[in-house]
Amino acid sequence: MLARLMKYEWKATWKLLVPVNLLIVVMTFFACITARIDFFNSDNDGIIFSAVMIILTYVASMFAAMIGTAVFLIYRFYTSVYGDQGYLLHTLPVDKHHIILAKVLASGAWVLLSSVLMNMSILFLFNEEEDIFTRFIDNVNIMTEWAGVSVVSGFAVLMTFIAYLVEILARVLKVSACISLGQLSSNHKLMTAFAFYFAIYIVQQIVNGFYYAILGYINTRTGNWYYGKSWEFTLISGLLYIVAFYAATWYVMERKLNLD
Amino acid sequence: MAPIVQCMGLTKTYGGKIALNQIYLNLERGRIIGLLGPNGSGKTTLIKIMNGLLNPTAGDIFINGLRPGIETKYRISYLPERTYLQPGMKVMEMVQYFQDFYPDFRAERAYDMLARLQIQPYERLKNLSKGTKEKVQLILVMSRDADLYILDEPIAGVDPASRDYILHTIVQNYNRNATILLSTHLISDVENILDEVVFIRYGNIILQAGAEEIRRNEGKSVDRFFREVFAC
Repeated sequence: MLARLMKYEWKATWKLLVPVNLLIVVMTFFACITARIDFFNSDNDGIIFSAVMIILTYVASMFAAMIGTAVFLIYRFYTSVYGDQGYLLHTLPVDKHHIILAKVLASGAWVLLSSVLMNMSILFLFNEEEDIFTRFIDNVNIMTEWAGVSVVSGFAVLMTFIAYLVEILARVLKVSACISLGQLSSNHKLMTAFAFYFAIYIVQQIVNGFYYAILGYINTRTGNWYYGKSWEFTLISGLLYIVAFYAATWYVMERKLNLD
Repeated sequence: MAPIVQCMGLTKTYGGKIALNQIYLNLERGRIIGLLGPNGSGKTTLIKIMNGLLNPTAGDIFINGLRPGIETKYRISYLPERTYLQPGMKVMEMVQYFQDFYPDFRAERAYDMLARLQIQPYERLKNLSKGTKEKVQLILVMSRDADLYILDEPIAGVDPASRDYILHTIVQNYNRNATILLSTHLISDVENILDEVVFIRYGNIILQAGAEEIRRNEGKSVDRFFREVFAC
C-alpha cells in the first residue's frame, strides 16, 4: 500500500512542483548567459537594465521556488491529512505508518530536488573562470568545512551528504509533527501548530547553543571560524529529531485523530 | 451470526462535554437502518468512531467482531457529509483510486452509474457542481461490495429531484447481505426504504425499533413519530 500511497502523492504534487523546479533551471540558464556575456559593462543603458532585471528575476525566482515549495507541501499535508480529504485518507485500509512515510518521503524528495537544483544553480552562476568540476570540488570543500570535517575523504563527504538528507527529513517531519500536535486543540488547531513549531525551534536552538558552547566553531583543518554543525552532530541530532517527530505524528494520527 | 456492529458502553467526551453516553447498540446484518436524531445528538460522533476516525473515551465497539482498524476498513464503505474528493483529479482517476485501495470495488458498476447520470469520467472534479460531486462520491461508495455502508447525510446537499435517484441508487446497488446505516434528518424522504430506526438524543439511544413496528404500534409515520419525540 505504501507504493500506492506514494503514487498518489506524486500525482498530487508533480503538476505544480515540476514547473517550479523547471523555473529554477530556466532562470539559471538566463542568469548564466547574462553573467557570462557580461552585459553589465555594455555602453547601452537598456542592455544593462535588462541584465539587472534578469538577475533580479533570477533571485526572486529562487526565493519564490523555495518558499512556494515549502508552502505547497505544508498546505498539501494539512488538507490531505486533517482537512476534508482526510476523511478518505483515514478510512483507507492502510497502516498509519504507511501514510506518514508516503507523505514524508514524497515531501523530502521534493525538498531535496529543489535544494540540489538551487545549489547547482549557484554553482553554475558563479563558475566564471574555473571548469565546473573544479568548482564542484571547491563546493564540496566548502560544504565539508561547514560540516566541521577536518580531513576531507570520501567517507567524510558521504557522511556529510547523509547528514544533509537526515536534516531534510527531520525538517519535513518537524512540520508534520507540529501540524499533527495542533490537532490536539479543539478550537485553535493552526495557532497551536505554530505554537508547537516555535517551542520546538527554541528547544533546538538551545541544543545547538550547548553544542557550540562545548565544541566551538573552529574547524581543526582550516583553523577558520565556521557557522555550521559537524556531520556527526547533525546526523545524531537529526536522527533523534526524526524519531521524536515521527512518534508525535503517529501518536496523533493513531490515537488522537479528531477531524472537524 | 454476530451483529455487524456491537457497541458496549460506548462513551465519547470532548473535554467535559458528553457526546456519547454509554451506548449499547447492536446492528444486525442485511438491514437498512436509519440513525435519526437532531443536530448535535451524537450521530456523526458514533459514525466517526465506527470508521476509526475517532477513538472512544470508554467502552468498546466491534465491527464484524473486530475493533475499528485496517481490517474493518476493508469491510466498511463510508460516505461522510464532507466532500473528500481531490479537486484536481478527474472522475476516472478517483475511480482508479478506489480500485487501487479497495479490493471489493467494482469499477464497471461505477462507470455504469456515472453514465446513467451523464457524468463524464474525464471531467475534473473541481469543475463539477457540489451536488454532482456528492453524486460521484455516492457512486464510488456504493460501487463497493462492503459488509457495512455508512452514509452520513447522503441526501442533504442535493435537490429534491435528485434525492429519489440517490435513494434508488442506494437500494439497487448494495450487497443484500450487507447493512446500510443511514444518518439523516430528512426522514420523510428515506422512510420508505428503512427497515429499522435508531433514535439518538444527547448521546443516548432512546429507541431502536423496526420502521413497520413504529407505524403499526404508534399509528403514524416514522417522520411524524420523530417530530413528536424530538419536539422542542
